[in-house]
Amino acid sequence: MAVEYLALLKPTSRARRFQANLIVFLAAVATLLAFVPLAAVAGYLVSQGAGVINLDFFTQDPPGDLSATGGGIRNAIAGTFEMAGLATVIAAPIGILIAIFNAEVGGRIGAAVRFFIDVLAALPSIVVGIFVYTLVVVAQGHFSGFAGSLALAIIMLPVIVISTEEMFRLLPRPIREGTRALGLTRWRTYLSVFIPTALSGIFTGLLLAISRAVGETAPLIFTSLGNNFFSTDMSEPMQALPLLIYRNALNSAYPAARDRAMGAALTLVAIVLLFNLLGRWLVASRRPGGRAGR
Amino acid sequence: MTAGKLSPSAIQDAPRRSMVRRRLREGDLLLRLVALVVTAGALAVIALMMFDSVRTAWPVFQNFGIIGFLTGQEWAPAFTVYGAWPFLYGTVLTGAIALIIAVPISVLIALMVTEILPPRIGQPVAIVVDLLAAVPSVVWGLWGLLVLVPVIRPFERDVAHSLGQVIPFLGPPTPGPSYFAAGLIIAMMIIPIVAAVTREVFASTPRLQREAVLALGGTRWDVVRSVVLPIGRTGLVAAILLGLGRAIGETIAVTMVVGNNPLVGGSIFSPGYTLASVIANEFNEATEPLHPEALIALGVVLLGLAIVVNGAGLIVRRRFERSAGRGR
Repeated sequence: MAVEYLALLKPTSRARRFQANLIVFLAAVATLLAFVPLAAVAGYLVSQGAGVINLDFFTQDPPGDLSATGGGIRNAIAGTFEMAGLATVIAAPIGILIAIFNAEVGGRIGAAVRFFIDVLAALPSIVVGIFVYTLVVVAQGHFSGFAGSLALAIIMLPVIVISTEEMFRLLPRPIREGTRALGLTRWRTYLSVFIPTALSGIFTGLLLAISRAVGETAPLIFTSLGNNFFSTDMSEPMQALPLLIYRNALNSAYPAARDRAMGAALTLVAIVLLFNLLGRWLVASRRPGGRAGR
Repeated sequence: MTAGKLSPSAIQDAPRRSMVRRRLREGDLLLRLVALVVTAGALAVIALMMFDSVRTAWPVFQNFGIIGFLTGQEWAPAFTVYGAWPFLYGTVLTGAIALIIAVPISVLIALMVTEILPPRIGQPVAIVVDLLAAVPSVVWGLWGLLVLVPVIRPFERDVAHSLGQVIPFLGPPTPGPSYFAAGLIIAMMIIPIVAAVTREVFASTPRLQREAVLALGGTRWDVVRSVVLPIGRTGLVAAILLGLGRAIGETIAVTMVVGNNPLVGGSIFSPGYTLASVIANEFNEATEPLHPEALIALGVVLLGLAIVVNGAGLIVRRRFERSAGRGR
């Protein structure tokens, strides 16, 4: 008996230990490998873009000619925030309501809606751009900031639905039981308990959705198109940071265009990271009910 | 991306069933009605957009036939000849290259985070990997165009002039921008997605079996080999499919490094095109007859491809979650 136990406690053979160490080594290499592009992109943007950025860069509009020096990216920053802002206003209430629908309705219909939302989340963003182009831009007869907002809203919608639904699901059991015990109606439950409790989580989903929408280029090519001047008219074509980076990058043979692309890219990454990290920090610091459901 | 991780909670369903007969109050009715109308409305609008895209593209399918369009080798807007094959080929090839690079790395990252590192270090590592997904496509493209392509050009040339002499698929031309460059960029972009799904898959393999293997004197590798990988296999398939689904839709970064050549390239180092990148590149200058419609038709093809690949991925993932949920 004792001998058998001792056999189990015997140190593993050298070959098996080598195997185990090898997998740890490979995994470590792979993880470091994934850090390389991130560090490379970040380092490149800072080294190339930081020198371009000054106050004028944020307060002036670009010259009409890509190859001309001077000017800034004010119109693109404004356009990005205008379109992302309107997109949030459109997508947030709809997304939260769909999340409530998903949390309340089970069965085949609920499963079908959830599947549709999951597919929508994975849809190529360029396809969303085509959708809005055929339905809105063609009907209106011209490109517009509104069409761009709509495309961004469709891209944000599934992100908001999925994260909000997850937040409702993660609500701690005592809270659920409490609302039942109090005999609260469902709408009261959502309005006074679930949404306030899950608010930081819902907000996180919103921020992550915004951080994704802000970086999208492909859907804007067919919808907001871009322009060269400052504009607040949503019914006209509108510039955005990713569009400006794209057009300038394609003309990066001109030093001015290249510099502008670098400065704008650094700005865009900073904005995206700000929203992204803010969202993560929110959810990490205030998960509803602490260790709920995990 | 974490939807459906917990099965629709039993906590919520059990009491509801007992209250089925209770009359719904007006407020509840209103909530349900509003949620229903908004959900149905939003989905209907999106469905209408899909339908409208197909309708717009219809003349192209009618003109060349669906099969004829898909297999058409030639894309010549000036002669009103439109074939999707070079782009389908590019999309599949760049997606395959990206998967070959990204899947092993992602699986190893997931192992590192769930099996090897303590959670206190693993969690931040996972977040940093996730940040790869936060970098906008256009920024990857900018970096790819100005840094990555020049850096890999000598490598492409070396391979093309050694291995490529034997295997034409790895041969010249090597101008820099190529299927390979696009695949490499896409790989960087899908690593966080594949790694995140794989991480969840690995984390949901049952604890009892792991501890049993460790108790028997197994190494960590034994745990991975005999518990994590066999149980997580279905989930891994889902991760790969979802990564591929993301890969085929990548647009702007690919447009900037793929070479933009509407011909089927014989080598992975040839310049090419993908469905998404040709749409992005030609749309604003599409003035020839049927040209915009043909590009939208390519979008419809991409839509179909994305629905099939992602739908399969989602179904497989759901199946895995159900089986893993039972095991716990």
